[in-house]
Amino acid sequence: MPKLSPKSDQYFFGTWEKQVGEHIQKGEVLFEVESEKVISEVPSEVTGVVAEQRVDEGATVKAGEVVGVVTVQMIERR
Amino acid sequence: MTTPQTKKPAWLRVRYDQTQVKQVSQLLDQLHLNTVCAEANCPNIGECFGTGTAAFMILGPNCTRNCHFCDVPHKRPAPVDLTEPLHVAQAIQKLGLKHVCVTSTDRDDLPDLGADQFVRVIQAIRHLTPQTTIEVLTPDFQGKTPLVQRVLAAQPEVFNHNMETVRRLTPLVRDRRATYDHSLAVLRYAHQHAAPGTYVKTGIMLGLGETDEEVYATMDDLIAAGVDFLSIGQYVQPSPKHYQLREWVPMERFQTYYRVAMQKGFKFVASSPLVRSSYKASAELAAVGVTR
Repeated sequence: MPKLSPKSDQYFFGTWEKQVGEHIQKGEVLFEVESEKVISEVPSEVTGVVAEQRVDEGATVKAGEVVGVVTVQMIERR
Repeated sequence: MTTPQTKKPAWLRVRYDQTQVKQVSQLLDQLHLNTVCAEANCPNIGECFGTGTAAFMILGPNCTRNCHFCDVPHKRPAPVDLTEPLHVAQAIQKLGLKHVCVTSTDRDDLPDLGADQFVRVIQAIRHLTPQTTIEVLTPDFQGKTPLVQRVLAAQPEVFNHNMETVRRLTPLVRDRRATYDHSLAVLRYAHQHAAPGTYVKTGIMLGLGETDEEVYATMDDLIAAGVDFLSIGQYVQPSPKHYQLREWVPMERFQTYYRVAMQKGFKFVASSPLVRSSYKASAELAAVGVTR
């Protein structure tokens, strides 16, 4: 969970935009999170497959907390 | 933060770019600078920092006033930092800003109420990045026009002071020392005494419980005072302790206010939910053909 607001470390988890097993490209929106003034779309920092969703929609989350896991697929060079 | 507030509308959904926000944040930290973007928890911070735009908040992060809509801390302020003007100018240079908005906390504790720091900042920017156009967003200086005059004499391109809301709601929304008539007098004085090339600007928030008639009456007051630019945005309640949000104002009403305001004679009007004083502020100068 990135730190979205310079003044707050705690947010409400919104919705997962990708479900477990779905492929996601780097930069695509992975989830939405709500802070006091805004709903932020948080993009994935890697390309891979969503392996785990560790928090539910509506849960309180803190900056730095692991909210999910995206497995990076290694590309073999031949 | 304890509970989510009234369900937020879709337009409050913004894209967060952590990498670019970090870069701007690190530069500002290195130079010990504050931005109203961070201190007020602005919803546009991702977009603005992502494009290298920031609105500097001089005179420290703590404000002597306690406006009920505002997220800037109401605490005892620190002494004035005389290196701040140079640091602001250096940040503008590093970020390559063509237009900058400089605002401040209220400093009722200082003999000059903070006016001279605005002057020093304007002078430092002119020295280091003379091509940058400057917008100052000032406090009401307790309605003391000689202090307004000092800032005007430094010749910013835009002199901005926010009305914030309509007359009836002012005592409910702003600190009791900030009156509707003080603010109107500051704007009128600025219009009457600004050098040629300085435009006068103000802004109001919607969603505080104002009526159409009250908004139009405020527009009439502003036109009579000689205000050139008007910004209209949606109030977003910073926390449950702040002034209670009354309404997410529909987009159609922002559009209606835009049309009415232009008909009343403003030279430029920005009216949309996410509009803030400094959001894409260079557009107004472009609209009246000002470049440096």
